[in-house]
Amino acid sequence: MALRMWASSTANALKLSSSVSKSHLSPFSFSRCFSTVLEGLKYANSHEWVKHEGSVATIGITAHAQDHLGEVVFVELPEDNTSVSKEKSFGAVESVKATSEILSPISGEIIEVNKKLTESPGLINSSPYEDGWMIKVKPSSPAELESLMGPKEYTKFCEEEDAAH
Amino acid sequence: MRSPRTLEVWKLGTVNYLKSLKLQEKLVSERKAHHIPDTLLSLQHPPTYTLGKRRTDHNLLIPESELTKIGAELHYTQRGGDITFHGPHQAILYPIISLRSIGFGARNYVETLERSMIEFASIYGVKARAGNKCETGVWVGDRKIGAIGVRISSGITSHGLAFNIDPDLKYFEHIVPCGIADKEVTSLRRETDTLLPTEEVIHEQLVSCLAKAFSYDDVVWKEDPSVILDTQDKE
Repeated sequence: MALRMWASSTANALKLSSSVSKSHLSPFSFSRCFSTVLEGLKYANSHEWVKHEGSVATIGITAHAQDHLGEVVFVELPEDNTSVSKEKSFGAVESVKATSEILSPISGEIIEVNKKLTESPGLINSSPYEDGWMIKVKPSSPAELESLMGPKEYTKFCEEEDAAH
Repeated sequence: MRSPRTLEVWKLGTVNYLKSLKLQEKLVSERKAHHIPDTLLSLQHPPTYTLGKRRTDHNLLIPESELTKIGAELHYTQRGGDITFHGPHQAILYPIISLRSIGFGARNYVETLERSMIEFASIYGVKARAGNKCETGVWVGDRKIGAIGVRISSGITSHGLAFNIDPDLKYFEHIVPCGIADKEVTSLRRETDTLLPTEEVIHEQLVSCLAKAFSYDDVVWKEDPSVILDTQDKE
């Protein structure tokens, strides 16, 4: 136990991590968390983003999320005209033999699903905020957007979550 | 200073696949509601083929109707990964743990599962390695010794890893294991000349390697697994 505490505090001093996580060992990808958190979006603590434009909200997963997932090889999305509920699963992605559920940050009705993701699931990695969008929703309770995080808050959230191990 | 982390380990012996799925679903809900700590199921299955979310049943090389003749079941699941076989003398670990409390994503989690198996193999002098990109799992040379298939739901894991101690490798001939053709499957028995201890000891060693890789401070072994399983049945 003592040895591990020593190792961990030494690692902190040297800004190293004892885990094999690439995102911890590479300072570039740490700053990537700052540089690829976009203004104008809202964020959930399960790492989805929402872009609210008029009566349409577009939803996807963040750059931080795709980095922690690894290469996405499969995306499961719902049909149009189904509904989503805040903090409930609407689909899943597969990467590194892991299926990870995607949770909706808001409630509403799905008006469009990004069908390109079936053929090109990797768009989530290469373009998480643009071509990798997942669903477009008509929000049923716009007030739900208020409880989501802004860019600064989300950046801090990522930092704290990554520091937890 | 972070608070101590405890892993509760359930030693379950041989468990029917569907029964283990139901148990995991229940534990995932309980873990999500913070009613239980991080929990690990240590078990084996009777001969069972399983498919992942992508339903890659083209990798099953015999008709489903033939499976009962060879004494095996087939199940479709929500885990990641391709087709695989589980059976006697294959050690299975299903961690039901919260990834958010350690800031892990899928990639870190799977890499740590790989490290656990590599560390375990080294106890027997077997030099295993993690798979290349798109070949998640644990390999000895070009031979696969450990498989991974995981589900993450609201940050809580289920399913997990399978490490071949000494299963009947002929069962793997009926599938394209993990969807990777032209690569062999192997086992600890095949890769080491070291005398293997009892399977109970082997499971304990594998669990310890996982607990160490995930930096748990305490491991609590839960007794009387038959009582645990019966309790699940009654509810």
